[in-house]
Amino acid sequence: MRRIAIGLLVAVTLPAQVSFDRLVQSAREPQNWLTYNGNLHSTHYSALDRIKLTNVSTLDLKWVFQAQSLEKFEATPLVVDGVMYLTEPPNNVVAIDTRTGRPYWMYRHPMPEATYNCCGNVNRGLAILDDTLFLGTLDGQLLAIDAATGRVKWKSKVAEATHGYSLTVAPLVVKDKVIIGTAGGERGISGFIAAYDAKTGKQAWKFNTIPQPGEPGHETWAGDSWKTGGASIWVTGSYDPETNLTYWGIGNPGPDWNPGMRLGDNLYSDCVVALDADTGKLKWHYQFTPNDEWDFDSVQIPVLADLTWKGKPTKAMLWGNRNGFFYVLDRTNGAYLLGKPFVKQTWATGIAENGRPIKAPAKGPSHGGTDVWPGVQGGTNWYAPSFSPRTGLFYLTAWEDYHTTYFMWDQKYEIGKSFTGGTARGPFPSIQRNPFIKWGPEWGYGVVRALNPATGEKVWDYTMRDVSDAGILTTASDLLFSGNREGYFFALDAKTGKELWKRYLGGMVAASPITYLVDGKQYVSIAVGHSLFTFGLPGR
Amino acid sequence: MRPYPLLILLVSTLSVLQAQHGSIIGNPFSTPDDLTAGTKSFRSQCAACHGLDGSGGAAGPDLSTGAFKHGASDAALFQVITKGVPGTPMVGFALEGREVWQLITFLRFLGIGKAAEKATGDPAKGMQVFAANGCARCHTAGHPGGFLGPDLSEIGSRRSLAQLINAVIDPNADVSTDYWSLRARTKTGQTINGIRMNEDMDSLQVLESGKLRSLWKADLANFEIIRTSPMPSFKSKLQPVEVENLVAYLASLRTPTKPKEAAK
Repeated sequence: MRRIAIGLLVAVTLPAQVSFDRLVQSAREPQNWLTYNGNLHSTHYSALDRIKLTNVSTLDLKWVFQAQSLEKFEATPLVVDGVMYLTEPPNNVVAIDTRTGRPYWMYRHPMPEATYNCCGNVNRGLAILDDTLFLGTLDGQLLAIDAATGRVKWKSKVAEATHGYSLTVAPLVVKDKVIIGTAGGERGISGFIAAYDAKTGKQAWKFNTIPQPGEPGHETWAGDSWKTGGASIWVTGSYDPETNLTYWGIGNPGPDWNPGMRLGDNLYSDCVVALDADTGKLKWHYQFTPNDEWDFDSVQIPVLADLTWKGKPTKAMLWGNRNGFFYVLDRTNGAYLLGKPFVKQTWATGIAENGRPIKAPAKGPSHGGTDVWPGVQGGTNWYAPSFSPRTGLFYLTAWEDYHTTYFMWDQKYEIGKSFTGGTARGPFPSIQRNPFIKWGPEWGYGVVRALNPATGEKVWDYTMRDVSDAGILTTASDLLFSGNREGYFFALDAKTGKELWKRYLGGMVAASPITYLVDGKQYVSIAVGHSLFTFGLPGR
Repeated sequence: MRPYPLLILLVSTLSVLQAQHGSIIGNPFSTPDDLTAGTKSFRSQCAACHGLDGSGGAAGPDLSTGAFKHGASDAALFQVITKGVPGTPMVGFALEGREVWQLITFLRFLGIGKAAEKATGDPAKGMQVFAANGCARCHTAGHPGGFLGPDLSEIGSRRSLAQLINAVIDPNADVSTDYWSLRARTKTGQTINGIRMNEDMDSLQVLESGKLRSLWKADLANFEIIRTSPMPSFKSKLQPVEVENLVAYLASLRTPTKPKEAAK
C-alpha cells in the first residue's frame, strides 16, 4: 500500500504531457489529434494512411460513447497518447480510453439555473497544454482541468453570462497562453478575444472585436450602436508560428437584420483578424461583408495553406465564407487574392479589385420579407473545412440553392435578451434537423464540395438530400470523411468524390470527424446525435 | 434521522432561512409539524436515491450541504421536485403543493444539522497542521493542491465532525470506491499499481503514476482491487490537539451559500 502512495506522489512531478512544441510539430505525431482543428494551420488533414481507398469499405464499428445529454453534440475530441478528451453538452468533459471506449473520469460542470446564450447549449471542444485541458463554459468561464483526474485547477471569469455572453468555442493554446472569444451576437453583446495565462488563468491581453471609443475603427459604428454590436467568436482560430499571428473569424454585427440601426462598415464584424499572439495587437484585418444585413458571420475556421500563387510561393489563407464566396488571402498581410462564389448567391454582384463586395440593390431584409441566396445559415458555416496538401484541394460542406426570406423591424436593446432586429424564415430548421425530409431539392440541399484554391472552381460534388452541418477530415491515403443531417457518416475518394463507404447512424451529424492511431491501429471518430461513434478496420 | 432534538434551533432559524431563500414564493408550510411530515415524505419519495439522511447515493446527489446545484431558492427547489431535472435521473414528482413545501422544509433542516455542529479546535491552527503535514500534496482545500485525494474545499458541508476525525486517524475505515486501488501483473510480467478509475467485464482503467491507462483483463495474469486508502493514518503522527484543530479547519470549509439566487 505504501508503495502505491509513494508512486502517486511521484506522479505529481512528472514532466509535461503536451508541450507547445508538440502542438507546433503536430505533423510529427499523426497518431494524436492535439488541437480542435488537428493542427495549428487548421487543415483538418491527417498524415495517417492505414485506412485506405482499398480497405475503407471494411470499416467496422469499434465502440460508442453515449452522452447523457440530449443537447446538440457539436464536439470535436482531442486524442493524446491513447486517451480521448471529449466535451459532452452542455459543459461536461470526459476522458475516454480509445481502445475500449470506457471513460476514465468525467468532469460535470455545475450549470446555473438558467442560461441566456443563443443557439443551443453546445460546446465544441477543448485545448490542451502540458497536463491541463482548457474549457470555455456557457456561463462565461474559462476552466483549467487536470487531464489525469478531471479536477479543476483554476477558473477565470471571461464574460457576464446573464448579459448574453457565452463560451461555446474550443480554446486555442499559443505558447503559454489560452485564447478564447465570446459568443452572444444575437444578444447584443460587445465581443472580444482574450488570452489567459495557462498556469494562473490571469488575463494577458484582450482584443475588442468592436473598437471602443478612441480605437481605430470605432467610427464604423453609427451613434451608440457599437455598445451592442455583437461581433462574436463561435469557432477556434488558427496560428502560424512563422508569423506569430493568430487568426480568428468574427461573427455578425447586431442587431442581425436591421443594418440601419448600425450604419457604417461595423468593424470587425464579419472579418478575419490577424493578431500578434503575444500582445493581441491587430496586425491586419479583412472584412468579408461590410454592414452585414443577413447574419453572414465569418465564423469559419481560417485554413492556412502554403500555395504557389501566380508562380510565387505564397502563405495563403483559404476561406469558404457564410456569405457564399470562397476567398484566398495572403495571410502575412491580409491582401485579397481571390473571391468567387461557391454556391448560388444573390446579395452581391461581385467583389471589387480591392476586395470589397459590391452589394446588389434591394436585397436587404424588409418588412414584407426579401428572398436572398444563400439563406441565413449561409453557403457554409462553423463546421470544419479541410485542405489536403496531397490533392491540393480545399473541401467544404456547402448549402447549395438555399435561400431564406429576411424580415426587418425596429427593436430596442434589453440586457441579455434576443436582439436581432428582424427574423429569417426558411423551409427547414436552421440549426436542428427535421427527421422528415419532405421539401423539394429546389429549397436547398447539402454538398461536400472540392474546390481548386487557385481558381475557386468546383472540382467535384458529393450531393446529399438534406443540408449538412458536418465538418470534413482528409487523410494521407486520399480519403475524405464527413456526414450529414440525414444521419449518414461516409468516406469519399478525396480526388474524385466517389462514395466508398457509408453508415446510417440515425442522428444528425453536427460535428467534425477526427482520426488517430493506437497500438498501430487507425480509428475515425465522429459525434452523431447524442453519441460519439468510433470506427476502425476489422480485428481487435 | 432524529430531527426532534434540533427542533428548537429549527424554529428559530426557519424565519432567517425564509428571509434568505424565500424570494417571491415563500414556504407556507414550515412548522415543526410540517417538518415531521416532510421527514416522512422524504423517506418514502426521495430516500431511495438521496439516502435516508439525504447525504446522497449512487443515483442522487447529497442534499444535506445546504447548496443545491439547480437553484437554492424555494421556488427553484419547488420546480426541481415537481418538474424534475431533464437529462438526469431526477424525475418530477406528482405531489400536492403542501407535501412539496414540507419536503423543502425538511431539506432546509438537513442543512441546519451540519451547520449546528461546533468544532472545538482552532481552525487557524488547523490550517497550519494541514500545511505542515503535506496534506495539499494530495488534497485541494480552497487553494490549489493535489488531485489524488478527495477535494476538501467544501468538506465541512459534507461530513460530520465524527466522520472528519475518523478520516484523519483511521482513513481505512471508510474509503470511497473512487479511491480503491488496482494491483495487477500482466501476462508479460509487468506490475501495475494505480487508482482504479473504471472497470467492466473485460477491462480495467487506472491512473498509474499520473498516466491514464486501460488494461484488458485477458492480458492480466492476476489482479487485485485494494480497498484500503492510499492515505496514511495520522493517529500517531499528530497530537490530539492537532487533530482537533485540523478537524476544526476542515469543518470550516463550507459550500458557499448563494443569497443572490434567492433574489431572482
